[in-house]
Amino acid sequence: MDMVAMSVLDSTMVSICREMGITLQKTSYSTIFNEALDFTCGLADKEGNLIAVADFCPAMIGGIPILVKSCLKEIDLDALREGDVILHNDPYRGGLHTPEHTFFKPIFLDGELQAWAVAIGHLTEVGGMTPGGFAGEATDIFQEGLRVPPIKIKNAGVDNLDIWKLLLANVRTPRTNYGDLRALIAAVDLGEHQMLAVLRKYGPQAVQTIVSDLLDYAERRMRAELQAIPDGIYSFEDLVESDGVTPDKTYRIAVEVHKQGGDIVIDYTGSAEQARGPINATLGVATSAAYNAVLHMTDPSIPRNSGCFRAIKVLAPPGTIVNVNFPAPSVGGNTETHPRIAGAILGAMAYAVPNRVMAAEGATHCNFVFGGVDAASGEYFACYDLEVVGWGGRAFADGNDAVDSINGNCRTTPVEVFETRFPWRVEQLAFDVDSGGAGEFRGGLGYSKQMVCLNDLITVSQMTDRHLCKPWGLNGGLEGGCGATLVQKAGSETWQTMPEAYGKISSSRYANVDILRGDRVKLTMPGGGGFGDPRQRARESVQRDLREGYISPESARTHYGYVEGQA
Amino acid sequence: MKFSENGLYIERYVKCANCGVLIYEKDAKEKKTRDNQDFCSDWCVQWNRDRTTRNAAR
Repeated sequence: MDMVAMSVLDSTMVSICREMGITLQKTSYSTIFNEALDFTCGLADKEGNLIAVADFCPAMIGGIPILVKSCLKEIDLDALREGDVILHNDPYRGGLHTPEHTFFKPIFLDGELQAWAVAIGHLTEVGGMTPGGFAGEATDIFQEGLRVPPIKIKNAGVDNLDIWKLLLANVRTPRTNYGDLRALIAAVDLGEHQMLAVLRKYGPQAVQTIVSDLLDYAERRMRAELQAIPDGIYSFEDLVESDGVTPDKTYRIAVEVHKQGGDIVIDYTGSAEQARGPINATLGVATSAAYNAVLHMTDPSIPRNSGCFRAIKVLAPPGTIVNVNFPAPSVGGNTETHPRIAGAILGAMAYAVPNRVMAAEGATHCNFVFGGVDAASGEYFACYDLEVVGWGGRAFADGNDAVDSINGNCRTTPVEVFETRFPWRVEQLAFDVDSGGAGEFRGGLGYSKQMVCLNDLITVSQMTDRHLCKPWGLNGGLEGGCGATLVQKAGSETWQTMPEAYGKISSSRYANVDILRGDRVKLTMPGGGGFGDPRQRARESVQRDLREGYISPESARTHYGYVEGQA
Repeated sequence: MKFSENGLYIERYVKCANCGVLIYEKDAKEKKTRDNQDFCSDWCVQWNRDRTTRNAAR
């Protein structure tokens, strides 16, 4: 094994993935790509093993191996030609949820398949029952937009126009979707171009050998990390608070982590049966969540490729909330159930490696989606508004304030861009005092965004969580604050929940609410749980929190035992 | 996973009863059937059996 050559090739391929992502960001049309960065670019070998990826969206990174391998089972590899581009978004065949569109481009050298360039992106508008793709009340997959099995969107470098027509005729924003689909194709084109340069420089045989070594190296590094964790069986449970359809029912996420030597088996047996509403995770999501949790508690310098995942085995019983069966809906599984699963694994591992895990994070992406016809331009608009949460406290530090949930690694859209692109005016965006769970190391803060509707009609839907179930603390740390969605109708002084204002089953999941000009919406994002006994928190940290407005005087007194003027 | 002969329809999604992976028709020779349940490997058959024993002992 040539460590120098391996390191050079690894860095080169990761740089290619990063460049693919920048291309995607800079050429896309929608805010979910060019502001939120809800995409991932990677490279796979010809068998479908992930060989390189940059710091993108963990939900997609962990999903790539199953995604690519599932598609390779279906497509006719003998009919594959240079310049082909394959598109796929099917949740039941390796996909994550219908908005996640994956593009694969084969990389040929001298007529021989060498590798794949892969780009996954979350398209805002996918058709289906709601603008913006997140139908919080969907009861089957057909309400969640167009489902695309692996198909060729380009044949030998030529657009398959029939496919384009079909894709664009089934969405509300064809112009934006066209731009975003082109951006995804540009990313895989660039990946192919740059990887071909690498293959020509080093030779395909040498690249294949070094990549094989790289996967083995990542596996060894991961197994060495796992060896250092005490063997045992560790369990944890968490709840998803609603499916948006069935009243007063919660859904259990059960994990049992079996750690033995350099292997780890994550068994979800005991999790709830699949829900009628759209909170179900696909197998790709359940697998990705396990990978995500393990990556969170191991050395971040281990190369992220299929090699490091070899030590992790995931058991996701079919027909449950962690492995949905056709045709049940699944759009919220990727955004909401994934962090709940990953958090439950981290909760289980707190018994084994308390210094490497955090208390519960907010674990939602808000997923406030909306659309309508812009009164000024007459054009249909749609938006996936992603908001961020507080993370859990850790054994050595407070939780991060207002960052994306652990499976997203995305950004919020800046207020200035949001107001320019969509007919809302944001009146307030501020941290919520006391939303971080009290602890020796405090949970990160959530925040609230209040906005007023500037269009005659905006149709809104949402798929969020933690309106009822608070983010848990660890080692004596207290729970973080819940989220909320409130509406104030024009001319009224009263703020109401969605059930109060529109008769919805759930305040956190609903579909197709009419928001009229002058109505206000307030989105509150949950904080993170605290870590350790709050009374052990350093006094100067409590004083700073008070001074900065992170905690209230009442919380300082009751949770931290802080008396004004105390040294 | 079983497709129709013309490949245009999916007639059945077949999943391993233990780990949940799709079992494609082309991999059918590796499939194990125990107690009317399909498994992708001997490892999954054994894990499923061990889990039942473990849970019964609790």
